[in-house]
Amino acid sequence: MGVLNSILGLIFDGFFAPFRALGPWPGMIVVSLVTGIVMLLIFKKTSNQDAIKRAKNQIKARLLEIRLFKNDTGGSFRSQAAILGANFRYMGHALRPMLVMFIPVLLILAQLNLRYGAASLRPGEQALVKMTLAEGASAEETATSLQSSDGVVVETPPLRIEEEREVDWRIRAEAPGLHLLTFNVGGTAVEKSVSVGQNAPAKVAALRARTFMDLFLYPGEKPLPKNSPVSKIEIVFPPLRLPLFGGTVHWLVAFFVLSIVFGFALKGVFKVEI
Amino acid sequence: MSYDKNNSRTMSRRTFIKTGAGAAALAALDTRGDFVKKAFGKSATRGKVLVLGFDGMDPHLTGVWMKEGKLPAFQKLAARGGFSRLGTSTPPQSPVAWSNFITGMNPGGHGIFDFMHRDPKTYFPIFSASATDEAAKTVRIGKYVLPIKGGEVRNLRKGRAFWQILEDHDIPATIWKIPGNYPPVATKQRTLSGMGTPDLVGSYGIFNYYTTELLEMNEDIGGGKIHLAYVIGNRVDAKLPGPVNTFLQDRPEAEVDFRVYLDSAAAVAKVALPDQEFILKEKEWSGWKRVRFHLMPTQSVTGLVRFYLKEIRPQFKLYVTPINIDPADPALPISTPESYAAELEKKFGPFYTKGLPADTSALDNDVLDEGEFLAQDGQILEESRAMLEYELNRFDSGLLFYYISSTDQRQHMFWRLQDEKHPAYDAALAAVYGDVIERTYRQADEILAQALSSIDKDTSVIVMSDHGFNPYYRSFHLNTWLLSEGYHVFKNPFKKEETEIGFPSTDWSKTRAYGLGLNSLYLNQRGREGEGIVAAGAETEALVREIARKLEAYRDPKTNEQVVLHAAVARDVYSGAHVGEAPDIILGFNRGYRISFQSPLGRIGQEIIENNTEKWSGDHMGAADVTPGIVLTDRPIRAEAPALYDLTATILQTFGIERPADMVGKPIF
Repeated sequence: MGVLNSILGLIFDGFFAPFRALGPWPGMIVVSLVTGIVMLLIFKKTSNQDAIKRAKNQIKARLLEIRLFKNDTGGSFRSQAAILGANFRYMGHALRPMLVMFIPVLLILAQLNLRYGAASLRPGEQALVKMTLAEGASAEETATSLQSSDGVVVETPPLRIEEEREVDWRIRAEAPGLHLLTFNVGGTAVEKSVSVGQNAPAKVAALRARTFMDLFLYPGEKPLPKNSPVSKIEIVFPPLRLPLFGGTVHWLVAFFVLSIVFGFALKGVFKVEI
Repeated sequence: MSYDKNNSRTMSRRTFIKTGAGAAALAALDTRGDFVKKAFGKSATRGKVLVLGFDGMDPHLTGVWMKEGKLPAFQKLAARGGFSRLGTSTPPQSPVAWSNFITGMNPGGHGIFDFMHRDPKTYFPIFSASATDEAAKTVRIGKYVLPIKGGEVRNLRKGRAFWQILEDHDIPATIWKIPGNYPPVATKQRTLSGMGTPDLVGSYGIFNYYTTELLEMNEDIGGGKIHLAYVIGNRVDAKLPGPVNTFLQDRPEAEVDFRVYLDSAAAVAKVALPDQEFILKEKEWSGWKRVRFHLMPTQSVTGLVRFYLKEIRPQFKLYVTPINIDPADPALPISTPESYAAELEKKFGPFYTKGLPADTSALDNDVLDEGEFLAQDGQILEESRAMLEYELNRFDSGLLFYYISSTDQRQHMFWRLQDEKHPAYDAALAAVYGDVIERTYRQADEILAQALSSIDKDTSVIVMSDHGFNPYYRSFHLNTWLLSEGYHVFKNPFKKEETEIGFPSTDWSKTRAYGLGLNSLYLNQRGREGEGIVAAGAETEALVREIARKLEAYRDPKTNEQVVLHAAVARDVYSGAHVGEAPDIILGFNRGYRISFQSPLGRIGQEIIENNTEKWSGDHMGAADVTPGIVLTDRPIRAEAPALYDLTATILQTFGIERPADMVGKPIF
């Protein structure tokens, strides 16, 4: 998973590089456009286009039938049953492309979450750092300390929560850049990056972990070694919202709306039956 | 044209006016002369008026420190124009005084006579400034009560505010936290409500304090809730009480659960709210935290609090500020237009919205100490200064009023430490905090300097306060005095005091007078009071004069000083449509005296007069002539005895607007 994350990270870094200085929207629009097109093509290749067209035509015909023979109650019911059946067939034909697209979409979402899910700390802003120790370790008995590179200050001594195997600190961002926190846990050094003063779509890695699911959902940093005394490290960054007409919108909403709009707009161009 | 954070273009009314200023020359023949020019139906004023309101700034202290060169900006302005005592209201309480200024009337005209009024039918105290009407119609669905016809919050002040009159003449105004403007009166001007704005709970401010110490609130002071905390396994589980949930039939308090994790050795703790966590070191304040109270599915309300971790060991002590209304999503009306509060929040982040935000009750109850109180008030002052700078930078037309509360709040709490005669004087504390009031006046001077450096030559400046300050050495129990004189009678003749509000022990069939509010005395008048016995007309007139005479004759048995300097009969001192709603007698105390803490809500103490040993040690419930405010202008003051309502008339005159007929004030220039 770590290798896949690294490859995808490089691809997305390259993709977003031209949009870094343009704010969050251009990158989001282009990634939604590309995703919409790719999904259209996957849908076209993996679905039975003729069968989908046939099912849709059947639905249209049955709807026309209801309109023409509206005085025939029995006929209307039969038409509605046929529409239901055609709908199920239509959904059945869409199932295979959906399953094919499921994993790639999740990987795209994870990469987008890395760039749009959290805001980089502003200089002067504080954040909570949470380190969870490996199973069986004691927060009280394990010697822990935290050091930061220039640009970030560790403001508090460690706060140990035995019942959660958790040790927390508060940090304060001082200067823009990608900074490093170094945790000393029972003699082992563990590192975690901190993003300060970067604008979306720069990467803001909130979590460094070692479970498969965490690696899948938080691909921002290399996974922790399997024998690490730490199971995960989290920095609580402020959530990022995309500005829109004086309000804000969550990136996930923006992405789905845009990619669906692009998909429908371009289905004729790519001759895809959806 | 301006660009907000999201690069969306907005054109404010002021921008519109400014854009149209070029056309103003066409209106050169306007009868109002050069000060106001018409532009596209709006007035772009070349001349502007800046009013800085420093609550409670005292002319004596200001004069002394000006002479000593400690207030250079005040001196500079006084040298250009004038500096004078400013006649305050009767009584000189802030809601009354600011209402005089807002309307240009005296209390007989605007109907605000005291912090507290009373319901004459029940003898219960009620807030004078605003009233909340619950939903007129509701429907019950299971345990939920849904409002069908909404309730409302009403500002009880009568008369029109001067910025409404300015609006009638298309003069733009920004009114920042003027006291007595909650809820803000209807206007298109930018206004943010000030003193009188409640917290989210609906009170004037209830702090929450979680401690393992056994403590009790001083019920006479109130203003907070003390929660006994238990540290179990380095963890404290607690609830933050919020507003009453009127959507539920039994109307419980909405609550937010939170947990505090303590480190076993280091002086550091983590507070975990439902949707956020943060770490505090001992003696540290948190930033603003938004808390959401869930009322029913789809309905919730947010408020803002700051946490202060006072101590972790040996005792756990955590203070939480009163829950301020969230300006980003206000549950109650706090600004006009509604978007103004949100605009400020967007620019500055969350800020104090409660009327008087400095928590004097927490200091009075020893929940915060002097340094902690000052730290909190420092945050408030810092917020105010940042927003003042913002408003000054875009002040391009009309009037800007700006209010500072710290001058009042700190004089209330720190007078005892600059006055060795005060019963609560503490030499050790005085060594550290004895100069707090002087430092505060110097900060006021810095604010004035900041303003003077930001304005242009076409801006007139008025610096004013609503009243001055006096020491508060001795407490007068008005109802105890009435008992001793036979005007007030208990059902049980052996009873000596009353600790409940609403006069439950009073025999109304024999009681002729009662005190309620900070300066107010009422007769138990037949037909007006629920169980009145004094006939209106001659009997009332004779009794009012008799009680007033006796009050003025009363001497402090310890000092032989006159306690009540003036016992004013309402119809002698007020004019206007609402004189009939006034208390019958308004007490104006001598310097050093004030009503006791128990009296305003109708509680009755055992002694008529006693020392004030509370930290609330300076006050302004004196007679108007011993509690004047200040006025400082950049033009010579011609009026011999300028008063608050005269400033209102002066503002209107400056913009060439005629005074309304019900305005009693006259221009001071």
